[in-house]
Amino acid sequence: MNVKLSKGIPHLFLLAYVFIVLYPLFFLLNTSFKKNMQIDSDPWGLPEPFTLNNYTYSLSNSKIGIYFSNSLFISIVSTLATLGLSICIAYAITRMKYPFLSKYVYAILLLSLLIPSPSLLIPLYRMVNWLGIYNTPLGLIIPYTTFGIPLTVFVISAFLKSVPKELEEAGVMEGLSVYGLLGRIILPLTLPTLVTVFILNYLGNWNEYVLANLFLSNDNLRTLPVAVVSFFNKYNTNYGALCSSVMISITPIILIYSVLQKKIIEGVMAGSVKG
Amino acid sequence: MNKVLRNPLAYALFILPALIMYIAIYILPLFSSLRNSFTSWNGINEATFNGLDNFRTAFSDERFWIAFKNNITFVLFSSFVQVPIIIFISIVISGVRKFLNFYKTTVFLPSILSTAVIGTLWQFIYHPDVGLINQLLRAVGLESWTHAWLGEEGTAFLAILITNSWQWFGFYIVLLLSAIFAVPRELLESAEMDGAVGFKKSWYITIPMIRPVILVILLLSITGAMNALDIVLIMTYGEPFGSSEVMGTYLYKQAYKFNEFGYASAISIIIFVFTVLVTLIFQQIAKRTEEVEQ
Repeated sequence: MNVKLSKGIPHLFLLAYVFIVLYPLFFLLNTSFKKNMQIDSDPWGLPEPFTLNNYTYSLSNSKIGIYFSNSLFISIVSTLATLGLSICIAYAITRMKYPFLSKYVYAILLLSLLIPSPSLLIPLYRMVNWLGIYNTPLGLIIPYTTFGIPLTVFVISAFLKSVPKELEEAGVMEGLSVYGLLGRIILPLTLPTLVTVFILNYLGNWNEYVLANLFLSNDNLRTLPVAVVSFFNKYNTNYGALCSSVMISITPIILIYSVLQKKIIEGVMAGSVKG
Repeated sequence: MNKVLRNPLAYALFILPALIMYIAIYILPLFSSLRNSFTSWNGINEATFNGLDNFRTAFSDERFWIAFKNNITFVLFSSFVQVPIIIFISIVISGVRKFLNFYKTTVFLPSILSTAVIGTLWQFIYHPDVGLINQLLRAVGLESWTHAWLGEEGTAFLAILITNSWQWFGFYIVLLLSAIFAVPRELLESAEMDGAVGFKKSWYITIPMIRPVILVILLLSITGAMNALDIVLIMTYGEPFGSSEVMGTYLYKQAYKFNEFGYASAISIIIFVFTVLVTLIFQQIAKRTEEVEQ
């Protein structure tokens, strides 16, 4: 059999698959530059004429900038809080000399893997109301921060177990307290792992829809995913505006992905391997 | 050294904040759901105890059964349709040298997009008039095959399952690829010398070697299928006529649309019990097949 041909078959197959992945996104991009007339009459062709009207329309007709910064703010604060809380707990259970207690703490955290998120909806909703943080950013920040804790602790703990004890011993010699050990020795070493879990948590928070939809009803507090879903009804038959709005909301993340793909893939993977 | 690391105050300071939040938001809600599931409660008035009524209602509620069946379909579709295709594609990708990185980055792309974006994008693709699929069918003269994909009982849930696959395939493929590349080269080479090439090699060497990761993928897709909520909420809201409902969306509606918080809590307990059961069954099967293999 022709060697070149047999080597080509996998590529043909994979290109077909890549096409299925990319074409819907290209279709979205292509449509976003078309006039509504052409979207209906000529779905496949390139934009003719090419127009940016959809973009100017959706930028001036919705608070997409506000939604964007809301998402950014809530995601970053929750992610940083998760990381701060998690590194402390991970350090305590892997390094400090309370193995018996630590085992229990770890086991309690493992329970989270069994709890389906829909089961938490109603009690969380009540709790958020009770705490008076319904319709405030805190209403999302507190649950997001907490949801990230178990996986983040697992990933950081797995890393800390591989750090040699000698480093801390040297630290103790120099008179560091346990806080100093964590802050001066462990934290810098863990930085690459922290970047990985940052990405993992950040994307989860950035993309979360159900709680964001339930806990924030004020339009000025809305996050991007909730806004994107509302576009579909808002722009009813104005498909050009719908497509441009969705494009605006995904462009930043796609740009970041094209630069940092390796780190991002690693980050998203981190959660599943350790689980 | 030990003295520094045996500091009860520091230990408490490190553990308690996170642990208290975790217990308040993860563990206690489960108990409060359990308690509420035995009550009739509209979210405003005092809840009144009504024993197992909510569970009885659920088991005789036709709509709940549709949702339950859809969750099962989701689990079966994930395990027996998605996972084999994912394994196949991963093995094909692992066999090519050129463009490996290109394939990896491209197929992974949907995993970083939000379900909101993907749900909206696919609503557009399934759109009866301007949607990609119907336009394609019309272009090739199959007008009669066109459907309102998300608006018809027969196709709505399947349409969601396909979108879900599109969203998660790349994630699982990349996960499997890293496992495949960890298979020792010598093993593959000696298999080749024994005459195992192509898919024979994959079947006898690669797949058994990456079995643990395949199990992880199965488990992740099963729990994902049990917890499905946002994608259905976004794409069909369980419609038409509850045909694409899953337990998660049914619970959501009972609570926030009909104010049946007691009933909704009972459903959340059913989801929890069922998830635990499915996970246990899965682990038993995984263990048993391991014993057979050895």
